Amino acid sequence: MTQSILKSWRADLPASIVVFLVALPLCLGIALASGAPLFSGLIAGIVGGLVVGALSKSPLSVSGPAAGLTVIVLAAIESMPSYQVFLLSVVLAGVIQIAFSFSRGGTLGEFVPSSVIVGMLAAIGLILILKQIPHALGYDNGDFEGSFEFFSNGGNTFSDIVRGVTGGIAPGALVIALVSLVFLFWWDGAQPKTGMLRFLPGPLVAVILGVVLNMLFAVAMPGWHLQPTHLVQVPVAEGIAEFAGLFTIPDFTAIGSSAVWVTALTLAIVASLESLLSVKAVDEIDPQRRTTDKNWELMAQGGGNIVSGLIGGLPVTSVIVRSSANVAAGAQSKGSAILHATWLLLSVALIPVALNQIPLAALAAVLIAVGYKLTKPALFVERYRKGWTQFIPFVVTVAAILFTDLLIGILIGLVVGFIFVVARNFRRAITFACDGQDCLVRARRNLYFIHKYELQRELGRVPDNANVLIDLSSTNYVDLDNVDIINAFIKGAEYRGIDVIVRGDIGQKTAPLINARKTEVSYI
Amino acid sequence: MKDSRQLLLANKAWSTELIEEDPDFFQRQTVGQKPKFLWIGCSDSRVGPEQMTQSHPGQMFIHRNVANLVDPADMNLMSVLQFAVDVLEVPNILVVGHHGCGGIKATLSGGVTGPVDTWLNGARAVLADHREEIDAQPTEEAKVNRLVEVNVRDQLLRLAHTDTVQGAFARDQKLILHGWVYDIRDGLLKELLTIERDTDLAAIERPNKVL
Repeated sequence: MTQSILKSWRADLPASIVVFLVALPLCLGIALASGAPLFSGLIAGIVGGLVVGALSKSPLSVSGPAAGLTVIVLAAIESMPSYQVFLLSVVLAGVIQIAFSFSRGGTLGEFVPSSVIVGMLAAIGLILILKQIPHALGYDNGDFEGSFEFFSNGGNTFSDIVRGVTGGIAPGALVIALVSLVFLFWWDGAQPKTGMLRFLPGPLVAVILGVVLNMLFAVAMPGWHLQPTHLVQVPVAEGIAEFAGLFTIPDFTAIGSSAVWVTALTLAIVASLESLLSVKAVDEIDPQRRTTDKNWELMAQGGGNIVSGLIGGLPVTSVIVRSSANVAAGAQSKGSAILHATWLLLSVALIPVALNQIPLAALAAVLIAVGYKLTKPALFVERYRKGWTQFIPFVVTVAAILFTDLLIGILIGLVVGFIFVVARNFRRAITFACDGQDCLVRARRNLYFIHKYELQRELGRVPDNANVLIDLSSTNYVDLDNVDIINAFIKGAEYRGIDVIVRGDIGQKTAPLINARKTEVSYI
Repeated sequence: MKDSRQLLLANKAWSTELIEEDPDFFQRQTVGQKPKFLWIGCSDSRVGPEQMTQSHPGQMFIHRNVANLVDPADMNLMSVLQFAVDVLEVPNILVVGHHGCGGIKATLSGGVTGPVDTWLNGARAVLADHREEIDAQPTEEAKVNRLVEVNVRDQLLRLAHTDTVQGAFARDQKLILHGWVYDIRDGLLKELLTIERDTDLAAIERPNKVL
């Protein structure tokens, strides 16, 4: 592992800077939305990169504070006596996640239909673009950075854009965003494949452009100069002691409180789901198509939450925006995730004042570019070509996430996705043959729960006074519900003059449960 | 329901299922056959060649008789052999005995009359040629199983000496003869020996014991 990190550093170093730039406002925004100290978001970002990054086997996933958890975190912090008590819940959530890992719960992550995963990514891309447009216009008083909710602050995603347009565009922000965007899209195609310039991350240039432009505005066009509300706002500590004071430790005396455990369990479940989805999605967009060990990932996430909680950070999950920015920036190994956290730590400790010069509009341009990569029109066309059973769950997932929020949207997408999965996987299991009064009802393959209706229907075709043979010899599993249906049919057969014999399964697991005469091959 | 009716219904289901999987399944077979194997095995109900090898229609040309015997005077087998080798040009012929063969047991213990008694002369000749080795086996079961094995060898040799097989070898037609036994206890086929065009028939050893 160490060797591969060293080998791919040429790709990982520039990528880590991009992820760092994307992560910085997200960490702050999510902390703000969670009603937690701003610094707690940065701690989570640093721990997500350093601890989860080191433990995880996922090469490209980036972990940190998650927008999907803000609602839970906000409610928990408000209901708890102190932030320190909440931190205890975070630590316990980490312990529970490790328990999930040992019970192999991560395997569940492999069963998410791929159309839902791709739909989730496309929706996140769209949301990134839509949510960042107000920031690009200089309307920074709507949502927090990194929000996935459709309705917020009395408006919704689209009305915020309208408000951004009508509520007075900040011309400085618009110019910075446009210049950055034009540069980013141009650089995406024009970046040299050889020479030193191939290592220069476009987003870094865009951000520096933004800072420089804003400084020029201050001198040349004071009306366009962006005020601190339109800039990144990292807490600035004076001296080491004050910096150390930004960290807090959990209140372990609250360990007996049921609220602490309920919050811990909720966090553990939601954070695990979000991480599994995110890691699965990153596997899907990994150019090398590597597959992450999902059980191990839960262990890594649990480790991250324990550490983050212990030093005053928000809960962490694998997060898709930062991860996809990581993939888009060409990262090759987890060196990038680890390095991005190093930059977070160093910059927050050493140059907070410089960070606070970065205009949100420039970061908006970076995120819009990342969002576009996730939701390119070609992606929609590709899904459409795969047929309705792929396209409908995909579109439903996109729409549901767009108009509700990430978690509810994914749940809706999963329900629709699984309906299509069952429909796509369903195969007729029963053959019915009749010759005069002699009939055969034959299970040609296992009778699962989904075959209940088919079994009921085929048995219903047997006429009164028939001789019927129920053949289970090709099964090795018959769901107990189906055994009940067969036994009910046998019961009713007495009254309809139907003579029933059964050819049992070779394994003799189902045959003994059925109350009818058996026909068997005899060898003596 | 009568047993014979059960067979007819099972056949209906079989046809329905295969057509549902592949609507042309049976239609495709109307053009003819080109099997790669001629199987000469025992008539025993437990040793169905297509079941144990998961073969499909068209894969195997089959002749079965009591104790899988080869007799140049048996016009039934000789005509099967002629058609398989000269017309179908099967590249493989399999002679397959099996564990606990009833015909071989009767060869050792006697007690049969009529046509079976006459038919088993072919197996008695094998017993006479290997009397010493069979008698040396410790148990009754071991005697039967060893006779099953040497019977496969001797029948395969008789097959190799038939005009049909010699003719195929002479014109350099692709043809390999295989001697196998099937073990009813574990459902596995085991190889005993093979004969090809350049095999020295006079130098064929007794097969290793596998049953």
